[in-house]
Amino acid sequence: MDNNWLLRVRNLTKIYGEPTLDSIHRTGPAFNTNICPKTGAVVAVNDISFDVYPGEVLGIVGESGSGKSTLVQMLYFDQEVSAGEVNFKPVDDGNVNLFELSNQKKRYIRNHLMGMVYQNPRDGLNFRFSSGGNIAEKLLMANVFHVGRIRIRGADLLTKTEVPIKRMDESPARFSGGMQQRVQIAKAIANNPPMLLLDEVTSGLDVSVQAKVLDLIRGLQQDLGVSMIVVSHDLGVIRMLTDRTMVLKHGKIVEQGLTDQILQDPQHGYTQLLVSSLL
Amino acid sequence: MTKLLEIVDLQKRFELHILNEKEIEALRQVSFDVHEGEILALTGKSGSGKSTLMKCIYRTYLASSGQILYRDRTGSVIDLASASEHEVLRIRKTEMTYCSQFLQVIPRVPAIDVVAFALVARGCTLDEARRVTSESFERLSLPKELWDAYPATFSGGEQQRVNIARAMISRPRVLLVDEPTASLDLKTKDAVIEMLIELKKIGTSIILITHDEHTLAMMSDRSLHLENGLLKDAVYA
Repeated sequence: MDNNWLLRVRNLTKIYGEPTLDSIHRTGPAFNTNICPKTGAVVAVNDISFDVYPGEVLGIVGESGSGKSTLVQMLYFDQEVSAGEVNFKPVDDGNVNLFELSNQKKRYIRNHLMGMVYQNPRDGLNFRFSSGGNIAEKLLMANVFHVGRIRIRGADLLTKTEVPIKRMDESPARFSGGMQQRVQIAKAIANNPPMLLLDEVTSGLDVSVQAKVLDLIRGLQQDLGVSMIVVSHDLGVIRMLTDRTMVLKHGKIVEQGLTDQILQDPQHGYTQLLVSSLL
Repeated sequence: MTKLLEIVDLQKRFELHILNEKEIEALRQVSFDVHEGEILALTGKSGSGKSTLMKCIYRTYLASSGQILYRDRTGSVIDLASASEHEVLRIRKTEMTYCSQFLQVIPRVPAIDVVAFALVARGCTLDEARRVTSESFERLSLPKELWDAYPATFSGGEQQRVNIARAMISRPRVLLVDEPTASLDLKTKDAVIEMLIELKKIGTSIILITHDEHTLAMMSDRSLHLENGLLKDAVYA
């Protein structure tokens, strides 16, 4: 049972600035700050451990600055870690800490085994390329070189994410926010990754577009059985997409549990505050 | 009869940290058994703890103390009050469903798919799932023009039928239903009762909350009465 995980995270920590022992031990929700009292270092992620199972959708909630984005960015190697280990089943059957691998190996994992969708489409897409080109870029990095095949796969993915194929050769810069987000999702799933990271993907979209993107993500999860980490400050998004939820504050997990339990019977004062603030 | 659930000295206390540590005792010393293939009704006034008890069994609420021992399909006994989240998710996915008083759905998914997806998640093809769903909608007299519409705009009774269909469609081993007949007309009410009794006949155990005398009389094998979070003497039908 305990060995069924797909991704295993242990003691993950990110500190901006000069770390001391106090940075870890005298910050967090109990101290109501994530700033080290000695050096002023910012402890963005403070000693976090969790597992993700195959096909599972894990939600991470918390207010701005709680460390949610930093956490997934470290998992996607966008940020250096300060400490901690991550094991991932598709890599050496989970027996190696991903952070100790060479950059080349890390690139391989990003290109073949993980997908990331950022809050800002500009972080995930290259606006100098066409939408089809963006997907092609991801496929090329995953060693698909046949131009015809890339084109077909691109059209396929854009259909799946409801982006009109006749606009495949246009830059996403000319698309609406919701469409850009759908192109980004198409790109992220192009290589059929077993693990998808979604960082505030619906923030800033109006509700009708948001519903469409959520519906797309839900459908993809159902069809492909991909594991996901969904980061959001929006409890509605979390309720709709996730099985389990972790609540972050000042870089630490204050509470975790089944999503319906977190939303209906929150145990921690901070989560009670979040839930009772829901519109 | 084989015991399916054994609830031992269950307590539920809500601790409201944001309201000056206020505490609410919702359940106290609740113990009872549920047997395979029986329909057990929970009765009592609003606020007596019926839904709290049901939600504790489904683990939407965390029990404060006590045990909820569940014998799964393979015969192993799991304490749902303390089992790992993954274990609870597995039971929910394959054995136990919960039908709340209110429908919660993904926006912009047609009613038929809201229900069909519950079967797809258990390995059924979408076409087959939709076929089974149509049958169930027909029995519940849900107007055909609503099948491909989004439930968000449905009336209370229509949403309720979608909700019930979704909980029953996968023929779970255990079904928890909260007020299944509350906002329905008599004919639909009877259709729901009939469908629940059919489930029981194929072996499903049902825990039912209802204020409706008719539903209670038609369905329940046994009822338990709650008062202020305490269980009163059991009544056999």
